[in-house]
Amino acid sequence: MKSDVPVRYSIKKTDKETLLKWYHLITLGRTLDDRAPNYLKQAVGWSYHAPAAGHDGIQLAIGQVFRRNKDHLFPYYRDLQTCVSAGMTAEEIILNGISKDADVAGGGRHMSNHFAKPAWNIHNVSSCTGNHTLHAAGVGRALKTYGENDAVVISSQGESSVSEGYVYEAINGASREQLPVVFVFQDNGYGISVPKQDQTANRKVARNFESLKNLRVIYCNGKDVFDSINAMTEAVTWAMENQKPVIVQANCVRIHSHSNSDRHELYRDDNELSYVKEYDPVEKYKRLLLRYQRATESELTEIDERVKEEVKEAHRKAMAAPAPSPDSIFDYVLPPAYVSNKYPDGVHHQEGDKVKFIQALNEALKAEFRHNPDTYLWGQDVANKDKGGIFNVSKGMQQEFGKTRVFNGPIAEDYILGTANGMSRYNRNMRIVVEGAEFADYFWPAMEQFVETTHEYWRTKGQYSPNITVRLASGGYIGGGLYHSQNIEGALMTFPGVRIVYPSFADDGAGLIRTAMRSEGMTVFMEPKALYNAPKAATVVPDDFEVPFGKARIRRSGTDLTIITYGNTTHMCLEVAEQLQQEGKASVEVIDLRSLVPLDKEAIRTSLSKTSRALVVHEDKVFGGFGGEVAAMIGDEMFELLDAPVRRVGSTFTPVGFNRILEAAILPGNDRIYQAAVQLIHY
Amino acid sequence: MKKTAIIYSYRSVKTRQQVQKIIHQFGDDPIEQLDADSVTGDAIMPYTNLILAVPTWFDGELPNYWDELLPDLEERNFKGKKVAIFGGGNQRDYPENFVDGIGIMAQFMEQRGAKLVGFTSTEGYSFESSRAVRGNEFMGLAIDVENQSALTDSRIEKWVLSLKIAFDSKK
Repeated sequence: MKSDVPVRYSIKKTDKETLLKWYHLITLGRTLDDRAPNYLKQAVGWSYHAPAAGHDGIQLAIGQVFRRNKDHLFPYYRDLQTCVSAGMTAEEIILNGISKDADVAGGGRHMSNHFAKPAWNIHNVSSCTGNHTLHAAGVGRALKTYGENDAVVISSQGESSVSEGYVYEAINGASREQLPVVFVFQDNGYGISVPKQDQTANRKVARNFESLKNLRVIYCNGKDVFDSINAMTEAVTWAMENQKPVIVQANCVRIHSHSNSDRHELYRDDNELSYVKEYDPVEKYKRLLLRYQRATESELTEIDERVKEEVKEAHRKAMAAPAPSPDSIFDYVLPPAYVSNKYPDGVHHQEGDKVKFIQALNEALKAEFRHNPDTYLWGQDVANKDKGGIFNVSKGMQQEFGKTRVFNGPIAEDYILGTANGMSRYNRNMRIVVEGAEFADYFWPAMEQFVETTHEYWRTKGQYSPNITVRLASGGYIGGGLYHSQNIEGALMTFPGVRIVYPSFADDGAGLIRTAMRSEGMTVFMEPKALYNAPKAATVVPDDFEVPFGKARIRRSGTDLTIITYGNTTHMCLEVAEQLQQEGKASVEVIDLRSLVPLDKEAIRTSLSKTSRALVVHEDKVFGGFGGEVAAMIGDEMFELLDAPVRRVGSTFTPVGFNRILEAAILPGNDRIYQAAVQLIHY
Repeated sequence: MKKTAIIYSYRSVKTRQQVQKIIHQFGDDPIEQLDADSVTGDAIMPYTNLILAVPTWFDGELPNYWDELLPDLEERNFKGKKVAIFGGGNQRDYPENFVDGIGIMAQFMEQRGAKLVGFTSTEGYSFESSRAVRGNEFMGLAIDVENQSALTDSRIEKWVLSLKIAFDSKK
């Protein structure tokens, strides 16, 4: 198979210097690839190695068309040759393989054979294979947005990972938005042991995409250096000239097992194992050089010897390089937060007219968009004429800031978050706000990208921070039932690498969204939708109000009992506290956490020093809810302050029913909080 | 019959068996054999009639020996030569690219002035698409020993008969 593209390079016409350069690179890559298993055999490392052998033609080509610090490259875990061809040194490859601190991908934090160099825009991608297609689409959107039409994004993956739904979302999005992204499918016929006919009906999976508008599909022989380079050259040229996406499907062979944990002789016969070796791209290239007298045996031998020395020296240096320190594990979990000098405790004393929660959010978002021109907002249903979001939080933003900065996303939550992760890579000043889903409990399809995004900063050893605020309209008391009235913060908070805030009042909403949008990293901003228009959540909101992360707010002082809460239940707790006060039963202190991650432990400690009794209240389920973590923390760290066990109030361990009777039986209300408080006071 | 060569890989197994059957069918007509792994363009050009054995590999590719020979042939003029192509394919497992190799080689030769001969009907085969098809015919002989081995001998016999006529024809 030859690709149907202009022949810019051929064995007879390409200059000798280039041919020998390619021979050096492809031999260097192959030598490293062949040596990788030795490190595992000697218990040095490189315990995950997915051989590139058999993909050498297309991988050389990808690396050759990539321009560091200009284009963006998303290699996958088999792209050793790609990264060598793109300019990474043998030492950098080995440092990644044996997970040393000097590994430029991320200091040994990510799995071996995941080569990257973020400093050059060779991005550090997930083991969740193919999910970087969404990031590629996101960077493509950034290139388009900033008018950089002489750059391109290249995303690389195996053919089997195209089965993932997010890959379809990414390519559909690139087609719809007309993004300059080249998606390369390296087709070796297998997803580990699964033959490609078990993945999709077409033998060439790229055919599944041929009907997409604005998309060009190129098929090439990934085992052939020239056909691959011609195909990739045409792909990137066409993508830039037309500002549209391209798929390049490259037919490869997998000469070895999938990885060193696989044994391909269990599912491939001797004949196949023999002929894939015969189709070795490196040997093919060498045969062509000699057959057409473009190089002599001695010239190639000289390069072979040079490569041996290069690898030997790289090995020596990499082995001597230090391993990561165990003390470093807490570095780069979260990127720097914005520091508020005006409101260091996130409290104000301004008087005046109150505004509702929804208006406070809307005005704060607009103010931040005026403050930072590199701000963007997208999500489902967020911008169509006078409508701005399912609850109108973003109302008027598209009119003021334009369709480039505020726009609708498709009904594809993973795409919404994944392209935010991608676009954010373009410029550290960028701040992206997404409505992660129309309702928080529709967020689950985006969980794959959520998890991915929590890893980025730590995995890259601080080289990449996804600067994203994920807005989620959360919680119940609206009769919404499943997917409309549930809480998800208990699940989200288990992932290190994300901040989670959950305000209860308008001023805190405004202050926290400002802080989120000025900080680096990802923040999940939970919005109790039942309070959007509730008079009880309305407050005075200073125009410049800021609420730092990890600062709880004492909403009511007391001496007999501490209630720790957030979101919708803050207001219930305040009402119960007032009732207990009126009844002369107790003086209750109510702590509105505002930030769940990070948690203000000191505010809890200070309060318990007075009250010695703790009741944790939230709307989410008691079982597996955030309150369990708070209660455990109090038990571990503040036990000596307690005169009673920590009690918790929250939802029952059931889904949330639609019928109002069911909802009331499931979600916590004043009665349940009151009873728990009284029991605790009398303990 | 004018000077005729059949070019195939001597290392091949199935293709070599098919070549021997073709040569046998030509009877006393002299057919010279050339090894596609090592033959050069210079060695090919003296022949007026060429029979090319081009099996299809992977999802519609030429085998290495042809792929690596083509740069030697790409700037040559095949005008006045008659070229017949046959090759193996698997219509059940590779229905999207059945005997694409025949089509790739046919296009290559035709673009360089060769007259293609030995077209055969697509009747009796079941596949989805093929670069070897023009109209209702293959631009050569498609052989499927994996799924229709019983038909191979009769297909070769019929094909060689047509080649004898085509090679002798002055058209």
